Amino acid sequence: MASLIACPHCGPRPKEEFTVRGDAGITRPAPDAREDAWYAYVYLRDNPRGRHKEHWHHTSGCRRWLIVERDTVTHAVYAVTDAAAQGETA
Amino acid sequence: MVDFALVHRPALAGAKSGSFGAPATGNRITLAALPEGHVLQVLGSKGSAGLEDLIRQIADGNQTAARAYGPGQWFVVGDATLSPTEIAGKAALLSGKASIAEQSHGRIRIGMSGGSVEAVLAKGTAVDLDRAKFPVGRSAMTLIGHISALITRTGDESFEVMVLRGFAESLWDELIQMSLEFGVDARATV
Ligand SMILES: [Zn+2]
Repeated sequence: MASLIACPHCGPRPKEEFTVRGDAGITRPAPDAREDAWYAYVYLRDNPRGRHKEHWHHTSGCRRWLIVERDTVTHAVYAVTDAAAQGETA
Repeated sequence: MVDFALVHRPALAGAKSGSFGAPATGNRITLAALPEGHVLQVLGSKGSAGLEDLIRQIADGNQTAARAYGPGQWFVVGDATLSPTEIAGKAALLSGKASIAEQSHGRIRIGMSGGSVEAVLAKGTAVDLDRAKFPVGRSAMTLIGHISALITRTGDESFEVMVLRGFAESLWDELIQMSLEFGVDARATV
């Protein structure tokens, strides 16, 4: 339980409680976008070294999607926020 | 046509019961299967806020009956079984600001008490259960080992652990195991 993610709703929790989806910077193409745009969206990912924003799901906690900004080399965590826009949640 | 009768059995009916582990240490743990009354999952609708008072109105009045575990998410629990009509009545009280999902047969409550109860639970979860940080009435959805559970403080030295029905006996056995060093009295029948 070494790596802790500070969930904005639940407080610090071990990474085992979370599911990582990956890069939070990718935007979904329009429904009628070309096949190569969809291919890139579904399959192609960078493998960045350093500071990176990712979607993490607090699966075994509040079940909210979060944006975790962390360093992929040191695992220093800079910020954790809810992925939903302000006022969107109950 | 019914080929065989369905019998409703409490999830922990066949679980281990009795006294286990260290002899009297003064810090013994008591584990108890709680009545399979009602468990209502309440989800706030999009954009609604400040629902706490409303949620309390559909609870049975017990101080720890309404349990928040995330933004707009609660479990409302109690020992009494509720008819579909009673649940519909509660849903009407929420007047569209939140909805109810009936989970009474899906989740099992286990009561846990004793002087060393925090030390035992700390073996399974990373949540800080110290009284100052986790007062009576506070809840946390977390993992106990690999099993997802809702932990609620119900008193100075007592907690409730709510778990999916299919995991109840497995968690029960683990809680006994985790309590052995202090000694544990386990009552699986309500
Ligand atoms: Zn959380």
